Amino acid sequence: MAYTWPIKRRLLGTKVARLDGPEKSSGRAKYSFDINRPGMLHAMILRCPYAHAKLKSVDTSVAERTPGFEALHRIAKDGAELNYAGDEVLAIAADTEEHAADALRAIKVEYEQLPFFVKEEDALRAEATAKTVGGRANVNAPAEPSVTGDIDKAFKEADAVVEGVYGSHAISHQCLESHGLVAEWDKEGGLTVWCSTQATDGTAQGLARAFKIPQTKVKCITHYMGGGFGSKFGPDVQGIACAELAKKAQAPVKLMLNRAEEITAAGHRPSSYGKVKIAGKKDGTVTAFSIESFASPGAGGGAGVVVPYVYTIPNTSTRHTNVRLNYNAQRAMRAPGHPQSCLLTDCPLDDLAAKLNLDPMKVRLKNLPASSEESAKTNKTSYAAIRHTLYTEQIQLAARLAEWEKKWHPPGQGPLTGPVKHGIGMALHTWGGAGGAPNDVLVQIASDGSVLVQSSTQDLGTACRTVLAIITAEILGLEPKDITVRIGDSSFGRSTGSGGSTTTPGVSPAALNAASAARDSLFEKLAERLKAKKEDLTIEPGKVVDKANNKSWSWREACARLGMDTISGLGKWTSGLSNNGVGGVQIAEVLVDTDTGVVRCTKVVAVQDCGLIVNRLACESQVAGGVIASINYALFEENILDRVTGRQVNPDMEFYKLGGIEDMPQIVVQMMDMPERGVIGIGEPPCISGAAAIGNAVFNAIGVRVPVVPFTPDRVLAALATKEGKAST
Amino acid sequence: MHDPRGPNKNGPGPSRREFLRGSGAAAAATALATAPLAPLVEAAPAPPPQGFGPGPVTVGLKVNGQYMTQKVEPRVTLLDALRNYLDVTGCKRVCDRGTCGACTVLLDGKPVYSCSMLAIEAQGNVIQTAESLVADGKLDAIPAAFVKYDAQQCGFCTPGFVVAMRAAFDKNPKASPAEIEEGLSGNICRCGTYQQMRDAIAALCKSQGKGD
Repeated sequence: MAYTWPIKRRLLGTKVARLDGPEKSSGRAKYSFDINRPGMLHAMILRCPYAHAKLKSVDTSVAERTPGFEALHRIAKDGAELNYAGDEVLAIAADTEEHAADALRAIKVEYEQLPFFVKEEDALRAEATAKTVGGRANVNAPAEPSVTGDIDKAFKEADAVVEGVYGSHAISHQCLESHGLVAEWDKEGGLTVWCSTQATDGTAQGLARAFKIPQTKVKCITHYMGGGFGSKFGPDVQGIACAELAKKAQAPVKLMLNRAEEITAAGHRPSSYGKVKIAGKKDGTVTAFSIESFASPGAGGGAGVVVPYVYTIPNTSTRHTNVRLNYNAQRAMRAPGHPQSCLLTDCPLDDLAAKLNLDPMKVRLKNLPASSEESAKTNKTSYAAIRHTLYTEQIQLAARLAEWEKKWHPPGQGPLTGPVKHGIGMALHTWGGAGGAPNDVLVQIASDGSVLVQSSTQDLGTACRTVLAIITAEILGLEPKDITVRIGDSSFGRSTGSGGSTTTPGVSPAALNAASAARDSLFEKLAERLKAKKEDLTIEPGKVVDKANNKSWSWREACARLGMDTISGLGKWTSGLSNNGVGGVQIAEVLVDTDTGVVRCTKVVAVQDCGLIVNRLACESQVAGGVIASINYALFEENILDRVTGRQVNPDMEFYKLGGIEDMPQIVVQMMDMPERGVIGIGEPPCISGAAAIGNAVFNAIGVRVPVVPFTPDRVLAALATKEGKAST
Repeated sequence: MHDPRGPNKNGPGPSRREFLRGSGAAAAATALATAPLAPLVEAAPAPPPQGFGPGPVTVGLKVNGQYMTQKVEPRVTLLDALRNYLDVTGCKRVCDRGTCGACTVLLDGKPVYSCSMLAIEAQGNVIQTAESLVADGKLDAIPAAFVKYDAQQCGFCTPGFVVAMRAAFDKNPKASPAEIEEGLSGNICRCGTYQQMRDAIAALCKSQGKGD
């Protein structure tokens, strides 16, 4: 039978402190980086120091004689093309980290340096035939823009037209636990890795394929992991290298990237820029939107945008140019493509509103996407079916919480008379967040009443352990702390990688199915022993109840009747318990010092839908964290590449800026609990619209557009100096 | 318990000097007390400084109430000695250059970046990591507040924050939330749990860092 979410929720949607909180906050939780195995060696990777080079020769003869040297694995062969500063050449293992560093320094490599580009504008200015990344063209663009409606007519008939350049520089994931793992082979040819990954199952499978061994012989353990944000899937280059070294040395090997490697070789959020022309009518209807955009995936495949974002605009023209650079390949980062798309849409929208002398909130309300009656036919709670109502409610709610009517003023005309100006801005976002198969969850009930829930899924910081415990406890009438949760081990069955905000909506339905199946199996087993009909048995908090005879047994008492039996319930992800698509609105307030150019964000209101809330505490924390990611993106973070050396000049945490607690505004999170929609993921959506909202708040404060994030003092002052808002990327 | 530095508690600087002299604790204490302060007083010429390394030397560290010895090269940082040689992993290596605070430990009660000091410098000091903030399964008020208010997501920065916050409250139990935040200004969280940390700080300030 198909199980459904309980109508009356006892635990679901309440605030439950994460079960592994004590282990983490007291430093006892063991992350992959913390695993020390007996006889373990330490590995390091030698990387190309040039942005583009041919590997001519490698001499490891001296290195192999340095104290403690144990094993070497070549990653790039002689003659190979190395496409960025940080591209992998080889890995070595030694008895200590100190000796590994010595051995690495003793390796002599000869490179032939090749032409390179690390700046988008340089590649765009170059010959169209330039190929500095793996023999592929640097610049790829469709010959013609993609057009809807009659764009020329719409611009001609508009009451106002605004043109501008907008965009964002590349940033790094900056996972605090860097990419890496410990690899250990057993005598039977089995491989165990303790890997910092967003996919235990996928990583184990990837290793099995790479080493041509059965999947059943590979185990990936990720009990705790220190941040991934989209950049940690599969074994990765260092995963293969580490396992190779462990095989050669016949010893466990640890290989964790250092900070510079983490930033320059483990992915980034791609840059994105656009020349936008937007037009509208006096009543605030946006009639036309055209964009010539470009973005760089680094040495990766592509970096796209979805524009215009969220709003329905009848006449559009879009053309996107992909610019490959000699820089590490982009990886998904918390809502890939969306923060960029939001900046490229929501910022021009405010500039148009200003030209039309309209409140940008009212312009947003005027141009919301219509709810789709067609979608409602198949799924009446889908995002497409409800989006118009959803955004309208969210905008009104956010405006009330942020006191928009009181605080908004025409751009540059705020109440403060000194050099510090106040501004307020808004932006909208959307994301998918649908769960899917395969996700297997096992729930076991023992005769002492103890309950186990098990899945190979991983907890990236979303409180996934606690999610599984809440659902199991809800169904079995117990408390979350009563449930033993085992996760983060690929041998526990199939699970999907934690990407696209799909983990909670992926494992929650499976957990509901598993716990419900275990409960039904328990009733079946106990019915005769309790002299009841299984249809009459039901669960109430802490007990099993026979409705027909008005009898009840405490949970432990009932489970004791299992005797030698153990109950197992296996649940898989099934449709109907989760959903796809959320909307959200964020409003930011800023103070801009027009003397120094410093922007301080003082308040953010975030209104967010995520369907059925499982754990309100972790959910709110996730949204506030997303807001903070947006603030970092908007004000501080930037990968700065040097066009002379081709290297990143700030592969660290002092010149790569991230905000501390004192940099943060008051954050007001308002969750919309919509249980009828089922569970939808929340990791990514709250990271999207904050940067555009801050951008619009800065515009509202100073009356001039700062075109590109991060809004650092130099860019703010440059914008103030021109008073025209012409971009300089 | 054997303490190679004896009763001298002059901090990490003198500790290193004493270590370099390689002399007994009492003699070192005398030399330290007089030499830098009274340069005009005639004294017996100091013995030539003794170098250490590059090979491993035995280092004794007092960590979370336990005295531990280990042979490490003199270039090994306190952080790496704790993590790689003593399996004390609550302090995390993130930036490895004194910016992010994930490696914060208490050295004689004061928060320090363990990535930015050598293990041999920390001999004789009382070293505490986040693991010391739990006794008989009961959490200290600071890590307990992090749990209650969900001031952690991935948790990799958390032990560093917890240790820094403990130090801030120990320094001034009547500290205001703003003063506690200042005490955390050397720590960075990537998941963005600052709002929840503020909730924890507000509650902790009411109890002067003692918890509920």
